[in-house]
Parts: sequence; structure tokens; C-alpha cells
Amino acid sequence: MAATPPPPGGSPDGSAGGSSAGDGPPPYRRGAVPAETRPDVTTSPAGRASMVAGAASVLLIAAILLGSRELRDFDSALVPYAVATVFLTFGVVYRYMMWISAPAARRMFREGWAAALSWENLKRSPTALPRMAATYLGFQKFLGARSHARWAAHQLIFWGCLSAAVITFPLTWGWFTFTAAGATGPGYEMRLWGVKLFGFDSGSFFGWALYHGLDLAAVMVIGGVGYFLWRRVRDRAATTGQRFGYDFLPLLALLTISVTGLLLTFSEMFLHGGGYEFLAILHMASVVLTLVYLPFGKFFHIVQRPAAVGMQLFKYTARRKGSDAEELRACRRCGQPIDTAAAVDNLRATMRDLRLGFDEWAEYCPRCKRVLRGTAYLSDVKRGFK
Amino acid sequence: MSGEQVPLDPSVAPLGTREFRDAGGLPAAAWRADQTEQTLVPTHCCFCGIQCGMYLRVDGRGKVFGVEPRNHDINRMRLCPKGINAYQQVNHPDRLTAPLLRRDRKQPFREVSWDEALEFTVEQINRIQREHGRDAFGMLGGASLFSEKTYLVGKFARVALKTRHVDYNGRLCMVSAAGANKLAFGIDRAANPFADILQTDCLLIVGANVGECFPVLTQYVWGARDRGATLIVVDPRQTAVARTADIHVALKSGTDSAFFNAVLHVIVEEGLTDEAFLAANTTGWAEVKAAVKEYPPSRAAEICGVPAEQVVEVARSFGRARRAMGWHARGIEHHTQGVENCLTVINLCTATGNLGRPGAGYGTLTGQGNGQGGREHGQKSDLLPGGRSINDPAHRRQIAAIWGIEESELPPAGTSMMEMVWQMQRQEIRGLIGVCNNPFVSLPNYAVVKDGYDKLEFHAQFDFFLSETAANAHVVFPVTTWAEDEGVMANAEARVVKHNKAQEPPEGVRTDTWVMCELARRLGAGSKFAFEGSRDVFDELRRASAGTVIDYYGITYDRLERTGGLVWPCPGLEHPGTPRLFEDGRSYHPDGKIHLQAVEWHPPADPYDDDFPMTLTTGRTVAHFLSGNQTRRLGALVEQTPRPWVEVHPSQGFRNGEPVRVVTRRGSAVLPALVTEAIRPDHVFVPYHWPYPVAANELTVDALDPRSKIPEYKVCAVRIERARAVDEVPAPPTPPGREAYPETQAPRTDPLPPTSSQGVGTGERG
Amino acid sequence: MLGRTIFIDPGRCIGCQACVSACRECDSHRGKSMIHLDYTDEGRTVASLPTVCMHCEDPVAPCAEVCPAEAILITADGVVHEADPTRCIGCANCVNACPFGVPKIDLAAKLQMKCNLCYDRTSYGLAPMCATVCPTGALFYGTAEELQAERPGVDVSTEFVFGATTVSTGVAMVVPPERQAPVPGGLLNVIEVNGRSTPGNG
Repeated sequence: MAATPPPPGGSPDGSAGGSSAGDGPPPYRRGAVPAETRPDVTTSPAGRASMVAGAASVLLIAAILLGSRELRDFDSALVPYAVATVFLTFGVVYRYMMWISAPAARRMFREGWAAALSWENLKRSPTALPRMAATYLGFQKFLGARSHARWAAHQLIFWGCLSAAVITFPLTWGWFTFTAAGATGPGYEMRLWGVKLFGFDSGSFFGWALYHGLDLAAVMVIGGVGYFLWRRVRDRAATTGQRFGYDFLPLLALLTISVTGLLLTFSEMFLHGGGYEFLAILHMASVVLTLVYLPFGKFFHIVQRPAAVGMQLFKYTARRKGSDAEELRACRRCGQPIDTAAAVDNLRATMRDLRLGFDEWAEYCPRCKRVLRGTAYLSDVKRGFK
Repeated sequence: MSGEQVPLDPSVAPLGTREFRDAGGLPAAAWRADQTEQTLVPTHCCFCGIQCGMYLRVDGRGKVFGVEPRNHDINRMRLCPKGINAYQQVNHPDRLTAPLLRRDRKQPFREVSWDEALEFTVEQINRIQREHGRDAFGMLGGASLFSEKTYLVGKFARVALKTRHVDYNGRLCMVSAAGANKLAFGIDRAANPFADILQTDCLLIVGANVGECFPVLTQYVWGARDRGATLIVVDPRQTAVARTADIHVALKSGTDSAFFNAVLHVIVEEGLTDEAFLAANTTGWAEVKAAVKEYPPSRAAEICGVPAEQVVEVARSFGRARRAMGWHARGIEHHTQGVENCLTVINLCTATGNLGRPGAGYGTLTGQGNGQGGREHGQKSDLLPGGRSINDPAHRRQIAAIWGIEESELPPAGTSMMEMVWQMQRQEIRGLIGVCNNPFVSLPNYAVVKDGYDKLEFHAQFDFFLSETAANAHVVFPVTTWAEDEGVMANAEARVVKHNKAQEPPEGVRTDTWVMCELARRLGAGSKFAFEGSRDVFDELRRASAGTVIDYYGITYDRLERTGGLVWPCPGLEHPGTPRLFEDGRSYHPDGKIHLQAVEWHPPADPYDDDFPMTLTTGRTVAHFLSGNQTRRLGALVEQTPRPWVEVHPSQGFRNGEPVRVVTRRGSAVLPALVTEAIRPDHVFVPYHWPYPVAANELTVDALDPRSKIPEYKVCAVRIERARAVDEVPAPPTPPGREAYPETQAPRTDPLPPTSSQGVGTGERG
Repeated sequence: MLGRTIFIDPGRCIGCQACVSACRECDSHRGKSMIHLDYTDEGRTVASLPTVCMHCEDPVAPCAEVCPAEAILITADGVVHEADPTRCIGCANCVNACPFGVPKIDLAAKLQMKCNLCYDRTSYGLAPMCATVCPTGALFYGTAEELQAERPGVDVSTEFVFGATTVSTGVAMVVPPERQAPVPGGLLNVIEVNGRSTPGNG
């Protein structure tokens, strides 16, 4: 974060609390405020982020207007949800812009997208990107390596939330409509942007599943959240350093949304709508607050996680270029591979951006760094006990 | 790797940063720590003679699942890697949980009922003793057993088996120090507590790799140095403690007595002796003085291969210190003159008046957990409980009365462990019960040991993991680990500490006490073995030791639990114990004098010649314990030190990791070279925790000290040569149909030596 | 001024790796050892060096700065935590940026891990596992005053030089009392290792 003040929303939980660095000659010390940083709205990251986020919000509003056929298909009961998605868009885009304005993320962002959008790479390995997206983002194989139970619970939450979002967002925007095919009977038609997609029988399994899609999603989410909550009170690894706002709030939010959602169905089916009004407000409030909170807490990982694919693709394409001897950077002392040459160069550039004056050390493997330091201690500080 | 073969996950990361092995996946798939009910059971480590305090963590289902440091005043929360991983033995998948039996060594073991195993054993004991006499059946105990069990081993052999042939694996360990202590002081234990080390001005550590064999003792050594003490280390290798010592004497192995005679020579020459102390409290000083006169520094320099100035330097440091201490271990004890080596150190301490004061004294570091307690109460071939002599008619009568037998029924003294193996070869001993020992790894000259055991008509072994020795037996009884029973051990200070039971033994496992009592019952001696458990045995042990030098009478479980340990002699229930001996200058001989013994150096038993020009010395590494049957199954320790190696000096011309054949007159093994300047150029070192074909004890010589009968592990003649490939390390034995828990064994196939003698650096793993 | 922290004295270290095993017993990362133990004078002596996270204070946590995923949290007490598992993408930037060679990475799990000063223990006033069990006091946990009371005549340093840069840390090294200069981070111009020329300079 050299040459810029820390972004206001950049690290809400204190993570990545970087130092700003001086611009004088080394040694670089904290506290020196660089002179050239006179932020103005157009060039400061916060200003740029606000502008891009505002533009994205405007785009969404326009899309809602168009997609709902000038609000003809828009359900006015869902207005708070639709407004929340606009805020969500602003928040996510703003946070995203702030995030990638930090040197490390910016460089990784560039390299990741460069790898993803490169025609060369597409020709050389056309399936790499979709395969990576499926394994890392869809099936989240890496979570299985952390713990099978956590993987299963996360998959439940992931697919539950994803299906809920796919169902509800277009509904609240008035993009999807369900219309009765005839005056009577079970036939329904589903339309997107007013265009008929398909018809179905509300009594069929598909109809049932479509109607109860959100209930299914809620059950999945409750299962996954239940496991994570159980883990958060039980597993000493999870409880260490856990924070209510960061670790519990998201789980409780999902739980509230899912439970109130299910209760709505329950009220409708068995209580003849008893308590429906209250539950609807509670459900709406929980959803709206969750959406607005999403860019700032743990949920932001949903937006960040694709960077894993970008990073992976960056290293993958670098290694596909040539032999390991050329494309892997070996430790300058022991010759063991450290990382791809491109990744090490990228890291060194990042370190220079950050005015971390020891980027040359990145060319040594961690063991050699420790051994060098140990050797220096023996020869320069003390050999033994005294 | 060409561009086409890049895996979808192409990440690379430097060696040593990219893998988190759960240290062998132990405790199996249960590394998670839950915020649930947990009990901390205070106990001590099962391994070495320091006896560090620790808590075992027991979960809501009553299973040991972890360890927590305990602020016991021996170790003050410190633990070594063995101690930290010790708990993983308790619920280890390799545990034996059913008796194993085979009538013939050609058959595989089968799991049988306890009744069948006991019945077969009793049948064989009776048959062998009927056909070949009572002494044709022998028993070998161990010094990692609780004192109660060591007492039972001695009583079982003499009262139930009625055989003279009983001995124990402390014979390979501490007997030289014991012999010297008895000769000089009339009492067999260290003279000072560890805490005295903190107050000394000059600390002499002889033949003890404190940093690796007694890591937790290092805090006392450093504590002494923080207060300004001079540290002298005598060791052919530059060990971790020797590395920073003020004086490191890297003498040739097997020359200790010449060195200490010369040191005493200088002390006498320079008038640094305490003549008043000598005159008042010793006998034999004139003879010692005459003997050391023949050892000027120049002679020691020649024999020991060290500069003569170093002899003078050591003598002045030790002689001029106001308070000086000498501690030694196997380095000077594992010799054909082990007793004499210890005597030279005793002579040095006594001649300078360094006895019986805080910071001034003498001690021996016992290797096994109960190395001290295990030799006190009668599992040694010539001793009865309370350190009584089996050859003394008065002592025999006392014990016969306590045991409720006729004195004439009490067998005479037997032979030592190695001698018993020779007797097995000669078929003078045809049946054997082994408890808590693994001679196939721990005895010298493996070929002889294997031959002796193979000749046994019947061999039963008690074990909780199938040891190399047990794997060669006819019957194996699955018994408890230390955490599944209670009992006491005495550490190197002769401090008796209580081990508490942390969990119930697994289904099918019995305590050693139960097995011995049950066998005794079936042999018709049940009335003498009506013990419910350790408490009953300890009560009898207390009474049996009352009035002797090794007096446990005032030590009770209750007092131990309240105090955290009591040091014998402790004759009364109000007696505070005796942490420091000789405070009044009096020894435990009837005349109250310290009996100094003159010592002449002689060369080691295995002669050097052109074929075998170098010296092989053996020893321990920090991650493993004795024969390794316990530690070679614990993932973290296997990972730290997966295999043995041979330590050679760069001047021998080998590259690090190169296969080297180590050849002695008894055998050879091919081990990877650990090339280091930390060893004398004319020495090689091999650690001894591994079995054939990578056993150090295939190479060592079965020559014994004439007095203590300790084998000369620390020196034999050797040559080294280039070889093609290193010998593979075998997996620890398991019963048929089972495999040594694979995740713990993964690093074992590593063909390379560790980075340093302490193990593989973390940066070089995976 | 230094509060309660770890003090490292390689001169006392016997290389026994008790810390490595003890680290695995810490409940916040059971089974996974974060500490490093290197034999730094290989082939000559048995000298060794334990390395825990130094919890850099200035510049604050280079590992966190180079993290593209904002995954490394620094709490107000100066503890640089291991990567947040929900954020870490496993890129290894921190592994290679750390001048002390501390972070480790689980490639399959896409997760960085490193010493967190046994946060489950230190946040309740207990010493970290490694410093609790260390048989020699090479790893000491407490205040500088407590250290000096036990070991008269030692001083501590939290300054390390890497090339032209000085890094100051929350974890300290023990140094002789007369020493004024910072602790060297190591000399990079390595020409040969054990008689072999090195790849980078050969």
C-alpha cells in the first residue's frame, strides 16, 4: 500500500494491516508519509472505487428496469430486496476495487486475468480454466484436504446459497415470472424478461422442486451452518481467536434467513398464513442486512475466492511455457525449486511496490534463509553459550 | 517436467514448507482437540532416568489423548521429544491385545485365550524344570518396570520358579556405576540431587550425552553456567552440550581411567587435594596416590589422544573450584573396566573433598526410567530386596522370613544377563520368561544373542508392542503400558516418584503384576503372590526394604502423591528422605569411611590391528529410547530420526549420505555416512536403537566387565569401507495379519542420514 | 518496549526438537508443527536454530502485506496470525516474502499456516507450547526483565538486518550484553555450500 493511505474499508477486520512506507533511500521505516500522495477523487483508490461501484449500481438499476419490462413484472412487495441488491452491488464493487488497489492483490489480479484472457493460453490448454473453476470454486476440492466434514458442510451451504440466489435474485428484480398457462389447472409457464422459457405442471416433481427450491436450499444451509456452529463451540482449533462479528455473525445470519424462510412455508401450508406478516418482515430484514453486510465480513471470501483460480492459472500457464529448469526458480543457495519464476518475479515486484527492501531474499528457500541467519548468528553474535 | 505434463494444480513450494504431515497420523485420525470434558492425570514420563513430571490428558470417554506440561520440580514443565510423544503409545494401533502362542518357532503366532497361554507356559516351566532342573529355567526383567514389578520379578523367579537364574536389562546399563558406588561408598545411588548442579562452580560431565539422552537435565547445566560455573565435558564426540563447553576433552573411547588418573596426578602434584577430608573420611588414599603417580599428563596424552595441557587444564579447573561436581553415564560405564572408570571419577571427587555439600558431589545418570529403582529390589542376579546380598546368610534369612519360605529354599546367586545368553547357547538354560526387555536389539553381538534365544525350548515374553525379541518367542503376554497401572519409579537422584493410572487397559490386556501372580498361582505358589495390584506389592516392598540401606519404609503412595517424590533412605513415615548423601562425611560402609580404590588403565577388550584400526562407539539419539520398540512406532520420532547412520569424520573421505559398510570381527552393517567434524577422526559412531540388519549391536563386542558384567558397548575395533547400498530399516514387528501402523512408518525408508545426530531438520522433510 | 514474548537463544539450543513435537500438541493446530528447527552448521558441529514466527513490527508483517487475499490478521497485541482459512488462496507469497523463512503452506488445502504464538495459550496468559517444554531455555517466554533475572549478563535484540533493511520484531533474540549492532539476517552472497558452488552464483 505504498504511496497511498490505507483504504477506509480496506481491512475491516484489521487484516492485511500493511505499513505505508517512506520513499527515501533504504532502510525503509514506517511512519514517513510520502509526499506525492495528495488524493483526489479521480485518482485515489477510494474515489475510483466509489465511481466504479456507483456505475455498477446504476447498471444494475437499468438492468432491473429493462428486465422487468419497465417494472411491469416487478413485484412491489420485493422492493426492499431489490434495493438491497443495489446496495450489495455497490458494496461488493467498492470493496473489490479497494481490494485490488493494494499492490499484492493488484499484481495477482492482473496476472490472473492476463492468464485467463490470454488467447495463447486458451489455445494451449483450453480446458484448464473451466476445470480449475469446477474443482476450486464448484467442488472446492481444497476444502476436502483441510477436513472432509468441513468440506461437506461447506458444500451444503455453498450449493444452498447459490441455488437460493439464482432463484431469488431474478425474482426480486422482476426478471422471472410464473404465469398460469390457463385459467384453471396446474399448468404454469416460466418467463425470463417476459420471454417464455418453458411450461410445467405444478403438481409434477419438477414443479414441486421449483416451488420448494428455496425450502430445499434452506434445509441444506441449516445443515451446513449447524455443523459449523457446532464446530465453533467445540473444536479448539476453531475457537482459538474466533470473533463474534467475523465468525459467528455470518453463520447466525444464514441460519436466521433459512429458518424464517422455512417458517414462511410452514405458516403458509399449515397455519393458513398465521404469523406470515411478522415472519415475512423478519425474513426480509435478515436478508437485507446480510446482503448489505456481505462485502465487509467473512462473506467477502465469496468474491475473493475466484482469485485462487487466477493465481492457479497464472502458475499453471507459466509452467506450461517451458521446462521446469526454465520456468521454476531454484533457491540460489541449495537449488531446490521455490516457485515458478513468474511468481517469484511477481512477488519481488510486489515487495518493491511495498518498499520491503529485502526482496532479494525471496530468491532463497525458507530453509536456506534460516540457515544463513543461523550461520550469521554463530559467526557474528555468539558461537555457543557465551 | 515438460510443459505438457503439468498437473492442474501446478503449485510448487520450497522443501520443508509445503507439507504438514500429522506426524504419522497419530493418534490415529484424532488429532482434533475438542472443547469437551478433559481430565489431567498427574504422572511422570515412562522413558529416561530423569523422570520428568507430566499430565496425561484424558477425554470424557476415559482415553488418554494428549499431554500437558506439568510444573514438577524435577523438570519444571520441560519435556523432551520422547516425553511429549510418549502418550501416543497408550492407544496405539500396534498394541498387543491378545496373548500370542505357537508351539514351534516355525509356526506363525496365533491369538489365544489367556487361559491357554498361561496353561501352556506353566506346562513348559514344569516340564523343563522336571527334566533339566530348576535352574534350567530363567527369568529376565527390565528397568522400565515400576519398582513393584521389579520386586515381583525377583520374588517370582526365586519363590515361584525357584531358579537362581534371574537378571535384568539394567545389567546393560547402570551396573558399573552401581558396582563402583557400592565399593567406594557402600550405597548405590547418586550422592546429590539435580538441584545441586545449579550451585556448583565446576561441572564435570563424563561420557554423558546430556543434550540427547537427558535433554531436560540441560536446564540444570545451563543454570549452573548462568551462575558462572565452568563446564567440562569428556566425550569422544562433540555433543550438543560439549559444543559450547568451556573445556571439551575429546578423548579416545576406552581411555577414561587413564585420563582421570592423570587429572588426579596433576591435582596431587599441584597440591589441590583436600588432605583433611581425605584423612578424616577415607581409606586407600595412599594406594590411589601411588597409582596416579604413574599417570603424568604426558602418558594420558599418549593413551587418550588429547593434548597434555588439557589434562592440566581440567585438573586446575576441577581442583581449584570451591564446589565441583562430577556426573557420568554410560560413556564410561559400558567398558570392560566400567567399574574402574567410575572409581576414578569417585577418586577425583573425593580427593578434592567434593562430597556431601550443596554443589559439590558426584552422581550417575541412570538411563532407564527406573534404572535406579530397578536395581534396588531384587531382580538382579545377586541381590535381594533392599539391596541385600543373596550371598549373605543374614540377608537371606531376613528375606526368607518376609517371603514366608525356608532360607534353604532361596536359590543362590545367578549369572548376569549376557552370561545367561551364553548359558542358553550351552543349553544350561532351556526356558526363559522375559519381562520388559528386548535383548535382540539391546545385547551386544547379535549373532550370539540370536543363537542363544533360538536354542531355548520355551520362551515367553511380556510386552505391549511386539518387540524383536518377543517376535522370536513361543508365548507373548500382552501387558499394560505405564499409563494403565500405578506404581513408583526411582529416578537418577534416587527420588521415588509415583506414576498414576490414567486409563483402563484395552480389552484383553493385563498388568504384569496380574500375569506374574497368576503364573505363580498355577505353579503352586499362589499364597505368596496374593496381590491385588501395585499397592499391595508396594506395601510388601516397603517392609522388605525396612532397615536396609535402601530403606523405603517411610515412603507411601499417599506421601508420594502429596510431596511429588521422596528420596530414599527414608526409614520412617515422618522422615523427609535423604536428597544429599555424605553430609557428615560418613559413607555407608560399616566403618563409615569412603573406600578409595586404586585403578590401573588397561586397553579395551577388542584389539586393534591392521584390519580393524578404528574405534566404534555406540550410543543414543534424542528421538529414540533404548531398543526402540516403543519409539520406532511413534510418528513424530520416526520422522525426526527415521534410521540409523554411521558418523564419520571428513578425513575418512566419505561423502555425506554415502553408503558405508561398518565391519567388526562380529558382523557388518551398511549405513549412510553422516560426515561431521563433531567426531574424532579415528572414531565412528552408530546409534543402537534399531534391529538387525541395521543394528549397532551386530557389531559390538560381548566382552564383560569382570565385576559388573556390563558389556563393552562403547568401544570395539572397526573398519569402514565403501558399499553399494544402505541396509534397509525393517518395520517394527507386529502379530500375523497386522502391519505396523503405516502412517508412522512412512519416513523409515529414507536412505539418508539425519542432518545432525539429533535428527532431520524440519526444513528437509517433505 | 517488549511485553511478554518469546526470547530465542540458539547458543543454548541442543537441537532436540522437543519444540517441534510440542508444537503439534497445541490445541489451536493439533497435529501440525509450525516451528522450524535447523541444524545450521551441518557437517561441522551439532549447532541448531529454532525459528518461530518473529511477529514483525516494523515493517508490520511483510507476510500480511504481500498477501493478495488479505488473509493474515494482526491483532492489537502484535500477534501476526496464521492465514484466515476462508480467505487464503494458497499462493505462497508469504512463504517466500518472509525474510525469516517462517510460513509453511499446505498445497493441497490451499492454506498457509504459521506460528501464531500458540494464541489459544498466550491469550490466556499461558506460555506457548514450544517455550513451555524447551528443555534448555533456548526458547524462553516472559518479559525481558524475567529473562535477565534468570540469566545475568544477557541482552536481547529485536533488530535484524537484511541487506540494507532493518526489520524489528515482536520476538527477540538473546545477544551478548556488549553488542550494539542488530542481529544479522544472513549474508546472501553465498559462493559455495559445503564445498560446492551454489546455483545462483556458480
